[in-house]
Amino acid sequence: MTFLGRVVGILRAGTQLQRRGPLKTVTRKAGGGPHIEPQYRQYPQLTKNQKFQAEFISSAMWFWILWHCWHDPDAVMGHFPWPDASAWTDEELGIPADEE
Amino acid sequence: MAAVGFRNWARALSKGKGPAFSALLSQVRAASGPSKAMLPGPYPKTPEERAAAAKKYNMTVDEYEPMPDNGEGYGDYPKLPDRSQHERDPWYSWDHPDLRRNWGEPIHWDFDMYIRNRVDTSPSPVDWNTMCKRLFGFIGFMMLMFYFGEKFPSYQPVAPKQYPYKDLYLERGGDPGKQPEEVKHFEI
Amino acid sequence: MHTTTLAMNTSLLMIFALLIFPLLTSLSPTPLHKTWAVTHVKTAVKMAFLVSLLPLFIFLNEGAETIISTWHWMNTLVFDINLSFKFDHYSIIFTPIALYVTWSILEFAFWYMHADPNINRFFKYLLLFLIAMITLVTANNMFQLFIGWEGVGIMSFLLIGWWYGRADANTAALQAVIYNRVGDIGLILSMAWFMMNTNSWEIHQMFINSQNLDLTLPLMGLILAATGKSAQFGLHPWLPSAMEGPTPVSALLHSSTMVVAGIFLLIRLHPLMENNQMALTTCLCLGALTTLFTATCALTQNDIKKIVAFSTSSQLGLMMVTIGLNQPQLAFLHICTHAFFKAMLFLCSGSIIHSLNNEQDIRKMGGMHNLAPLTSSCLTIGSLALTGTPFLAGFFSKDAIIEAMNTSHLNAWALVLTLLATSFTAVYSLRVVFFVSMGFPRFNTSSPINENNPLIINPLKRLAWGSIIAGLLITLNLLPSKTPIMTMPPLLKLSALLVSILGLLLALELASLTSKTFKALPNLPLHSFSNMLGFYPSIIHRLTPKLNLILGQKIATQMVDQTWFEKIGPKGVSSINLPMIITTNDVQKGMIKTYLTLFFLTLIMALFISII
Repeated sequence: MTFLGRVVGILRAGTQLQRRGPLKTVTRKAGGGPHIEPQYRQYPQLTKNQKFQAEFISSAMWFWILWHCWHDPDAVMGHFPWPDASAWTDEELGIPADEE
Repeated sequence: MAAVGFRNWARALSKGKGPAFSALLSQVRAASGPSKAMLPGPYPKTPEERAAAAKKYNMTVDEYEPMPDNGEGYGDYPKLPDRSQHERDPWYSWDHPDLRRNWGEPIHWDFDMYIRNRVDTSPSPVDWNTMCKRLFGFIGFMMLMFYFGEKFPSYQPVAPKQYPYKDLYLERGGDPGKQPEEVKHFEI
Repeated sequence: MHTTTLAMNTSLLMIFALLIFPLLTSLSPTPLHKTWAVTHVKTAVKMAFLVSLLPLFIFLNEGAETIISTWHWMNTLVFDINLSFKFDHYSIIFTPIALYVTWSILEFAFWYMHADPNINRFFKYLLLFLIAMITLVTANNMFQLFIGWEGVGIMSFLLIGWWYGRADANTAALQAVIYNRVGDIGLILSMAWFMMNTNSWEIHQMFINSQNLDLTLPLMGLILAATGKSAQFGLHPWLPSAMEGPTPVSALLHSSTMVVAGIFLLIRLHPLMENNQMALTTCLCLGALTTLFTATCALTQNDIKKIVAFSTSSQLGLMMVTIGLNQPQLAFLHICTHAFFKAMLFLCSGSIIHSLNNEQDIRKMGGMHNLAPLTSSCLTIGSLALTGTPFLAGFFSKDAIIEAMNTSHLNAWALVLTLLATSFTAVYSLRVVFFVSMGFPRFNTSSPINENNPLIINPLKRLAWGSIIAGLLITLNLLPSKTPIMTMPPLLKLSALLVSILGLLLALELASLTSKTFKALPNLPLHSFSNMLGFYPSIIHRLTPKLNLILGQKIATQMVDQTWFEKIGPKGVSSINLPMIITTNDVQKGMIKTYLTLFFLTLIMALFISII
């Protein structure tokens, strides 16, 4: 259904463009890749490859972050705990008890 | 050429004749600076002279305002407002768009200062005094706080390094015959 | 035999040869082919990158470093200048990174500049720049370093003014070259000092000979040089103006390579600085001021390239702070990681700007996540890496720097400013992502959005991978030269992350305000301070040239004439003679009293003389 909708959308955009007169096609000769017409008031058509690449790189980033968060949280949280001086008892420190 | 000039000098000095000397001067002028026609004329004193000067500089009489006659040699050169070229309308079709200037327009005395790469006088959203006060206030405040920061530095409290054997007394070349004084790193 | 040294030296020379070869081909009288840029320049840079991996691996494997100093270049009676290259860990690591980033940017530039008739010249400039940069990085001699230093400066001038038809571009190029000259004065003075006092420009000889000298003066010169080149506070306005140049230029010169030259100089000469507390404190305060000031400016800019430029300046300030902390290696680490994500941010903004018919205002973008998914993903990755998200490239350097700050004995205000700037980083990064990628499109109705071009996708992907993993790779393989403090209270350990999260939350709060309607506020003073770049350019760029030019004009056209022709000439003669004339005149007015006085005066004087 969505596919149909998109096709209709593209067709409508196309007819609008045709109605507006001769198309100014911008030729880009700077390399390969599919050519996509500029759209008027429409989202441009995206290729599947492009979407895949985008999601792949984003998910790779999140994988990298989460994987390291799982396996190497020390890098963020600190490798060695900071000794908590207030928790040390007098006995451990060898301090004699206060004379009453 | 130099010899000719020198001979002229000598002749002018020996004869002491006015016209010859001034002719020599104008000759020297013509060799380097602008010609007499290009220099500003004398300071206009009468309204007629003012009108003539205004016409000479392509200005109306109302606009025309000569530079003050204080002996600095401005002559009848018009005193234009101190506005940079950058301030002018970028969308108007200027004859010379890069300078934003029309042909035959009078040139400001300091035109070279007001071209678009240099001093800009376009109005700013905040006026000059406020800008100066805020910027220099900011810098001054930062300097003051850096001074205080230097007085009260930030650091993690740590004790000096502690070593066994009375702080390595023998290892540091202490006298073995003498008993070293006890080193304490704490106070109770 | 010394195969390691041989391999390293050979590959270094090969890098230079590979890079210079296209320049030689461009000298041939026949016009260059249209694709010369790609077939020669890009290939050469790619090749050079691959070759530069060899010394990198040898270094990683054996820790080998070499210095070549066998060629006498010129010598006077008392002073020698050698050609000497240094292949220590700084240059071995930075060269492949610079080449990798340049390779990606060149590929992108071929797409971005494809309509330019002079594209071959553009690539030639970029290549010349790269050669100068590598000369600078591998130099072991101040003179050689200076050649590289000036080389990158002049290429920066030429490339900023690439579109020379626009007065703005010309102004920006002039600004860059003039601010850089101010810094160069510092470098030249320091070099002169070292020539006088250590009698050598070889860097290691300078270190040895300057053991017992007071180095404050030359170090101030070096800091001035770094201030100019690396856009520290006071000489910073050229960097945001440099955004008038084409985007690939901004990506290559003004974010990842050229602007770090100043910091690199200080890293290279760090042994001189190590024991000079004065120089270190100056670096620390200067860096902290820069990082906060430029981060503040970045907060309210609307031009996407300006925001990224200010964030570059802010990161450079952070590197300067690190130098001031006596931690050159951390600064170097930050240079390396920063190169990847900052170059990528610029390429993303270039791709977006091109897609939207050269629209640079972020208020007129929006919704790019649905229109150009890859570009926008890369923009997000770059922003996250810049903010210091754990395990992306920026984290490994930024977190280490903030930790080192927290555990050092340092100026408290510098620490406060740096932490504040770190949280501002999160604010403006989110602002860019929010305005560009999220929401709905606000641009013109017909825009040629198409990122399906290998020339855009490949460089972006390459740099994105770099931004993700480079930090870990470099940290794993680079031995720290100073012992890092491994244990510290959790608050200090987490402070970098905490301030970033704080900034992010603040930015999210601000972003949520944008969807509500409010009464229009009058312009707040703080807003105008930030939006007008702290008023710094407005004041300095108007006041200084005006004073200079007015004074120059006055002296040249009026004062000289008035002085020589009038004051010293006729007017001087008259003003000297007039009092004498008046006195003589007054005496001879026929007053009997005057004559009597004079008579008695002479009489008394005569009596005195005769008595004596």
